[in-house]
Amino acid sequence: MTPAWRRYAPALIFLLPALVGLAVFRLVPILWSFVLSFYDWQIFDQPSFTGLDNYIHILTSPVSGQVLRNTAVFALIYVPGSIALSLVLASVLNNALRSSAFFRSALFLPYITSTVAVTLAWKWIFSTRFGLLNNALAALGIDAAPAWLADPTYALPAVAIVSIWKDVGFYMILLLAGLQTIDPTYYEAARIDGARVVRRFFRITVPLLSRSLFFVLIIAMVRSTQTFEITYALTEGGPNRSSTTLAYFIYENAFIHFQMGYAAALAYILCFLLGLLTLVNFYFRRRWVHE
Amino acid sequence: MNRRVSGPGALLALYGFLVVYAALSLMPFAWMLITSFKEQAALFQLPPSFRPSLLFTDTPMANYSVIWNERNFVTFFRNSAFVSFMAAIGQVFTCALAGYAFARLPLPGKNVIFAIILATAFVPTEVTIIPEFLLMRGFGWLDTFLPLIVPSFLVGAFGTFMLREYFASLPHDYAEAARMDGAREFRIFWRIYLPLAQPALISVFVIAFINNWDELLRPLLYLTSPDLYTVPLGLLSFVSQYEAAWGQLMAGSVISTLPLIIIYVLTQRYVLAGFSGGGVKG
Amino acid sequence: MTLTQHIWLPLVAATALATSMAAAQDTTLSYMMWDPEQLEAERAAIAEFEASNPGVTVEALAMPPEDYWPRLSALAAAGDLPDVFAMSSGFVQSWAEAGNLADLTGLITDEQLAQYYDSAASVGVIGDARVAFPQNWVAPVMYYNIDMFDAAGVEHPQADWTWDDFLAAAQALTVDEDEDGTPEQYGMWLYGRYSHIEPWIFRNGGRLLNDDMTALDPSPEAVNALEFLTSLVNEHGVAPAPAEMEGIRQQDVFPLGMAAMWVDGSWNIANVRDIAGDSFQWGIAQVPVGPDATEETARAYAWADMLAIATNSEQPDLAWDFIQHMVGEGRTASDFLGGKIPAFQAIAESEAWLEADMQPANKGLLLEIGTQPVETGFSRDWSAWRGYAASGSGGMNGELDEVFNGRSELDEAIENFVAYGNDVLTR
Repeated sequence: MTPAWRRYAPALIFLLPALVGLAVFRLVPILWSFVLSFYDWQIFDQPSFTGLDNYIHILTSPVSGQVLRNTAVFALIYVPGSIALSLVLASVLNNALRSSAFFRSALFLPYITSTVAVTLAWKWIFSTRFGLLNNALAALGIDAAPAWLADPTYALPAVAIVSIWKDVGFYMILLLAGLQTIDPTYYEAARIDGARVVRRFFRITVPLLSRSLFFVLIIAMVRSTQTFEITYALTEGGPNRSSTTLAYFIYENAFIHFQMGYAAALAYILCFLLGLLTLVNFYFRRRWVHE
Repeated sequence: MNRRVSGPGALLALYGFLVVYAALSLMPFAWMLITSFKEQAALFQLPPSFRPSLLFTDTPMANYSVIWNERNFVTFFRNSAFVSFMAAIGQVFTCALAGYAFARLPLPGKNVIFAIILATAFVPTEVTIIPEFLLMRGFGWLDTFLPLIVPSFLVGAFGTFMLREYFASLPHDYAEAARMDGAREFRIFWRIYLPLAQPALISVFVIAFINNWDELLRPLLYLTSPDLYTVPLGLLSFVSQYEAAWGQLMAGSVISTLPLIIIYVLTQRYVLAGFSGGGVKG
Repeated sequence: MTLTQHIWLPLVAATALATSMAAAQDTTLSYMMWDPEQLEAERAAIAEFEASNPGVTVEALAMPPEDYWPRLSALAAAGDLPDVFAMSSGFVQSWAEAGNLADLTGLITDEQLAQYYDSAASVGVIGDARVAFPQNWVAPVMYYNIDMFDAAGVEHPQADWTWDDFLAAAQALTVDEDEDGTPEQYGMWLYGRYSHIEPWIFRNGGRLLNDDMTALDPSPEAVNALEFLTSLVNEHGVAPAPAEMEGIRQQDVFPLGMAAMWVDGSWNIANVRDIAGDSFQWGIAQVPVGPDATEETARAYAWADMLAIATNSEQPDLAWDFIQHMVGEGRTASDFLGGKIPAFQAIAESEAWLEADMQPANKGLLLEIGTQPVETGFSRDWSAWRGYAASGSGGMNGELDEVFNGRSELDEAIENFVAYGNDVLTR
């Protein structure tokens, strides 16, 4: 046994289950579907090799441009919005109301409640004539309120807001776990210095939580590109595609039209873009994450 | 230990914000609860009514009793609980080992492996599910729980990532001290770091449990025998070609959400009792 | 050799060997369909089939359409299709061309065929082969609120109504009592949905597709129908913009009493009964024939729900016996809920199916539609260019809604959806 082997053996043994799972249950289907992205394959039919046709079609189709733009807008609302909100909620729960099981559970409820069920409620909130929102606005004297979900300007932001609302509880518990690693003595010290709440939040909590925040950032980015159910129940990607994001478009092609080769090509274009973004993120990570 | 916010004004503002946000969080659930006590005809009246009309009839629990009696819901529950528990426990175990290795153990190229695991999370399930289905069929695993448990048991990008970050953020000196004493890596991991990681481990467990509990696409493709159905799959029998039995569907959603609420409430006490405990018991 | 076979051939062979060794004398026939509630109604018929075929067990599985198709497609990719499965008019062509559907041509005699609605049975003929057999069919009809008609003193819809007659009625039925510019009661309700739009196009002798159904090429008659429908919303104000009804399920607008007329599929009879209850009297009528149509060119819009046998079924004869049982004499009227019309004429014409004690009182009108020449309007990738199901906001549906919502002009919308549709169809 060489010394190098002895040195690296523990890591390899620790990683063994994950590596086996990765290779068999993730990489095989992923590589398989990557190969399929070069085929014309309607799932119930035989695949036929078409080279780069799927990719060329996607890159030249005007719909893809709109869908990519929607994906970016959605992410720009969803990612910062959900991180800011979950960070505030987590630190409030961690600091002020540790014993309040009620609030912790209430805030987490949207994440575990059936998406179909909750979006029915939201659909009613945004409804043009009978909606809670427009009735409230009318009570305030605003009569020309928009048809939120049927208006190309508001449909996508509305979907993003409901998605934030649904996921914030999830990010909150990830951040709560991170907050637990912050040594209370930091706060004690700051308190003796007389630092105020907001100052303590930005000077201590945020920097010391930067690892967890970075982790939540990556997850939020991934989830922002995988939204489907909420869009489906609220707008069906409309009106006229104005809230169709790439994930929704992939679902449509895969399971409504069954064009799996085309859907796979869309997915790998998405992965390519996400990969680039993540590399950028990891580059900046060195600058702001506290190691 | 005291970390409370000072000043009654700040506290009031915090409470105010929390109450408003909690109300917004609870409202759709309340809506679901009310809807589960309505007849089909009353569901879509306008403007909407908040009266759980069935409660004022002879059969207040009509939607629930259909769910409970006409379908084999007890079996669906047992199946969902088994699958979700196995998958979540497995994921915690595998991800803890992997996360620890990535954070703490030397291995050339480990960052590349980590990047690959993370990258797999970016590929949408929609396009990998059919190859995955053909793979499971090749293993002869169709109509068993194996395709629902084994993959989550073995890999979880989020769990690995989260625990890697968590282990990296824990103090290094405990391990150094233990190594001086001649402790093996696994023992250091098992006796020192794993207990310290409790909040993160529980979070990973809860998230994995919930995700597996809600999974529809995989059970739909893999399970054939009604004896093996999970709760989301069982609920599909209340949707027909053109219309859904919404009252019953909502009753089913309420029932299937309850275990998740219970698990969350029970485990969260331990998330918050984590590191703040202070001393390390090695 | 396909990709999947290439990789899995050894394993597949091993599995097949194991299966054949395990096979006993008892036979299992697998059957999959898309309506869990309907399957409960079918249990008796299935049990009857098992009783008359000793040793045969039918393994039946049902899930709603949006879950049925992904699962069925995955089974097709694996070569594991059930012996018998439900097949829609929209997918039958693609599935037949993919070689998944067994040829039934030689199995059925002309005598047997005569017992079924010809228009429904013809949907399952692709090229020269009969690849699926109808169980029931459905057709869009015009729903109308009898109470509103009587209150406005308007004559009920007639078979010889012209578009002008329809418009005059719709205008009389649009009521804005508080004069706030938003009528409390509209004469009509529609948006870009296929079952709202195509009935008018086909009843005007129009076509959206070219002759061999490979490209979108709306005929002048189709364009005229679209112009007429647009004018209902944008010019005459007898129908609301779809945006105004956002948040209300489209199938609830009529039963909630917000519109006096509505054209949609006959399957909505069940929902109108549920939601409207006894709150008003309603009936169904045929969609008015357009000014451009002649007796030869006017078409009813209807399509069939069918059963098919997998090409890889090892017991096609037993499967065919089962289909015959399930589409014909093995069934009773109560198996066909609401507005599904049995393809087997004897059941469709029975008193039990006509449900004289329920609304609409004139359900027999549907049977007349079954004797007319019909158009299904489906093509390859129909869901994509038309904008259907989760794609409902795209394609033709999405573009027409922009017109009805006043954000786009009709000619521009037609140009857009034709370009998009042809892009999809040439993919």
